[in-house]
Amino acid sequence: MSKQKQIGLLLLLASIALAAISCNTSTAKEAFFGKTVPPDRNIFRYVTGDEPESLDPAISNGQPEARIYMALYDGLVEYHPKTLGPVPALAERWEANNDSSEFKFFLRHNGRWSNGDPITAQDFVYSFRRVVTKETASRNAYLAYYIKYAQPFNEQKVFVRDPQTNQFLLAKDFDDSTPPEPIAGAPLDGAKPEYTTADNSQTEHDGDFHKQLHTPLRLTIPGDAKGRNKLLDANPKLKAAMAGKELVPIQAEDIGVSAIDDYTLRISLVQPGPFLTGLLAHQAFRIVPQKIVEKYGANWTQPQNIVTCGPFKVKTWQPYDKLVVERDPMYWDAATVKLDEIHFYPMSDNPTIMNLYKVGEVDAVLNHTVPNAWLEVVKTKQDYMDGVEAAINYLLINVLHPPMNDVRVRKAFNYSIDKEAWAKWRKVVKPLTAFTPEGIFPDYPQPKGDPFNPEEARRLMTEAGFPVTKRADGSYTCPKFPVDQVEYIYNTQESNKAMAEWMQAQWKQNLGITISLRNMDWKTFLNVRAKLEYKGFARGAWGADYMDPFTFLSLFYTGGENGSGWLDPKYVAMVDEANRMLDPKKRYELLAKAEKFLIDAQPIIPLDTAAVNFVKKPYVKGMYPNAGSLYAWKYVYIERDPSKWDYGIPSLAE
Amino acid sequence: MLRFIIRRLLITIPTILIVITIAWGLVKLAPGNFYSGEKRLPPAIEKAIREKYGLDKPWYQQYGKMMWAIVRHGDFGTSLRYEGQSVNTIIRRSLPVSAAVGILAYLLALIVGVTAGSIAALKQNSRWDYSSMTLAMLGISVPNFVLGPILVLIFSLSLYWLPPSRWGGFPSRNLILPVITLSAIYMAYIARLTRAGMLEVLRSDYIRTARAKGLSERDVVIKHALRGGLMPVVSYTGPALAFLLTGTVVVERIFALPGLGNYFIQASLNRDEPLIIGIVAFIAITLLLMNLLVDIAYAYLDPRVRY
Repeated sequence: MSKQKQIGLLLLLASIALAAISCNTSTAKEAFFGKTVPPDRNIFRYVTGDEPESLDPAISNGQPEARIYMALYDGLVEYHPKTLGPVPALAERWEANNDSSEFKFFLRHNGRWSNGDPITAQDFVYSFRRVVTKETASRNAYLAYYIKYAQPFNEQKVFVRDPQTNQFLLAKDFDDSTPPEPIAGAPLDGAKPEYTTADNSQTEHDGDFHKQLHTPLRLTIPGDAKGRNKLLDANPKLKAAMAGKELVPIQAEDIGVSAIDDYTLRISLVQPGPFLTGLLAHQAFRIVPQKIVEKYGANWTQPQNIVTCGPFKVKTWQPYDKLVVERDPMYWDAATVKLDEIHFYPMSDNPTIMNLYKVGEVDAVLNHTVPNAWLEVVKTKQDYMDGVEAAINYLLINVLHPPMNDVRVRKAFNYSIDKEAWAKWRKVVKPLTAFTPEGIFPDYPQPKGDPFNPEEARRLMTEAGFPVTKRADGSYTCPKFPVDQVEYIYNTQESNKAMAEWMQAQWKQNLGITISLRNMDWKTFLNVRAKLEYKGFARGAWGADYMDPFTFLSLFYTGGENGSGWLDPKYVAMVDEANRMLDPKKRYELLAKAEKFLIDAQPIIPLDTAAVNFVKKPYVKGMYPNAGSLYAWKYVYIERDPSKWDYGIPSLAE
Repeated sequence: MLRFIIRRLLITIPTILIVITIAWGLVKLAPGNFYSGEKRLPPAIEKAIREKYGLDKPWYQQYGKMMWAIVRHGDFGTSLRYEGQSVNTIIRRSLPVSAAVGILAYLLALIVGVTAGSIAALKQNSRWDYSSMTLAMLGISVPNFVLGPILVLIFSLSLYWLPPSRWGGFPSRNLILPVITLSAIYMAYIARLTRAGMLEVLRSDYIRTARAKGLSERDVVIKHALRGGLMPVVSYTGPALAFLLTGTVVVERIFALPGLGNYFIQASLNRDEPLIIGIVAFIAITLLLMNLLVDIAYAYLDPRVRY
């Protein structure tokens, strides 16, 4: 290279470096991250994450979509902007029967669709049935499985009826593990009030359907011959009872949702469900317009067809560019809605999102967008939001593959991770030894798992037949451990790589074992993990579907699907017992016991309670860093008076 | 010439069908599903989803159905990920975005590249030559995922002159940074190719003849030297234009543009089969057509190629 060329190159590089440095020093001094000029109109511009899969709330189970659905659709209840607890929405009030197995919701009379049609209980009946209808193929259907017969209907199961007597076979007669019937499954008895708050109106509304529903749980068996025969072969008693009986397919009309009148909805559950009202704010239970859905089919969500019922309605939608929603004057609570429009930008590249925020083209961004390397700077700003998140990070262990099938080995790996140090390194998260997030469920007596104890880890490894010895230089070695039988898999992402390397270093340092790392793209990773095609460790993370510890504990409640291969009937029984408890305190105690059992079995290594962290302009008010990153948009507004801005994190206390 | 074009067009059809088949096979072999998530879905729901989208059918039925729709109606089906949106609509909607950025970048690259390359060749070993070739070297060696953020850092985040990302319609200020980022490497290549081509031509006999005839320097350069010197550029820019038109993954991602490239990468990550296949087929068609155009242009520029 000639001298001239070298000088030119140097000059160019120097100017780039200078620009970068000057930019950094200027941001270091400012109180906020970037510009703080409110938009001209009452418009809120928000990055909600990836392009929405659909505007149909039954389809997507993603969080980016959940926030959009919260603008467009209303449900019986809405998430409280701070606590995420249920607050009245289309239901003005509700009451539960004495064991929370049946609920009555009293709807407001002024609920309207965006086309002006009134919203009635029938709309809920339709929407709830639709979400568990097989053809809808809703990924959220499982959340409605607590509703009586919703699960067998979704799975296309059948009832078994005796054609002579018209009697149905009952579940309790064929399965010893069937829990006792909840009150909603006991025959109606007018003398015994079911609802403590009863208005004594119970009997007047007891239609035929309600009487029919108010019976012990019927037996349901697979609708396809193959699945049925497999079941019958395994259960001779059932096979004998089947003789001469007829199969009755479960209909949408059999599900435990009914409209008592236009403005009263009844939901009957298959089990006591004290958490139900909290769950009902989920997108699966937000209502869709029957007439429009039936008229347009899959195209009903196109902007020219769509009819919604939330505080906002669709104005324009340019996929992959922006979704504009505007205030819906038909909305029952339109007076509360302060924003004229919300612009949702679908974006997924974090630095790109942060840049847009910095120059003031968006007013807030979604959770987890601040890149780890930027945190040092962004954390000091007054528009940086953080708080505990109802989500955890953990490692899954394939417990079917040796040597990890030995609980001592699993425990040793857990003991040798310093979670305090991990949380410090990650900057925003909190160390975790259990399987439910810390500080999320107020009265939950969360159990404690094993602490960081490398001595104990080495002792356990030695006990399991893999002696760990100290070398002359102070490091450890474990020559007998089959390192080729254990690996650590994660989906390709910078932060996951850093995490994998961190764990690898801990095990190397404390056990003298070097675990190999393997990365793959997200969908491949999910597949490998679900099918247990890995040996050793896999990254895991889970965020709450609803505000109850069960949303975490249920991950190990069903077999084969949890990615570790661990399933213990004892654990299932413990969780069942807890969920049958009417006293919420007792229920929490039993759930905590089950959680302790789970973490002692160590199919997982808990790492941390995740943290909500994002940025929002100080002039955006009514938006709080709540544990689920879900915002009731009708309370959000643009404040133009700087003296009323948020300087720092707004309090989450009510 | 006409026979040549027709023959080339006829070869295009089986080529595209083969490309589609390979793309389909690769997508089928890739592990994972469009609906999989952190928590595995209950088997009944998984089954319902597979039935809804016909994924429960044997592979030859799925393949046959897809091919039939494509050959018969040019219909690539409906996106799996984006409920109810047809692949053809998605391509029709995102193509203008990619094309706007691509064509602008192409024009910019061509104008700046050819000018800089010609000047460098005409004033070989001068300060002009060195500085433009240094810049060209930088343009080639600095990847666009580095250049893009640097431009954003300077012009958006420090100076607040230009928007850092997003589509703002056409024309808009939002286009400036992505167009520069995208064109940089092409600009650099074109400059180098032009310079090399021109240098070779300028030393050739017919240029000496032209000069000897007493033609003005301007006529020599524009009428004779440039025409010959641009041959390598033409063969380079045909496929380049195809890539520019069909979107570039990195630039569309950095600047969050709703173009084909962005859809392509998302579709692959989401395992959105029909969308992947639709975009692959579209890129293949564009590429083949551009190559054909290059060959035709070649024939016009160089009489020796004509037959």
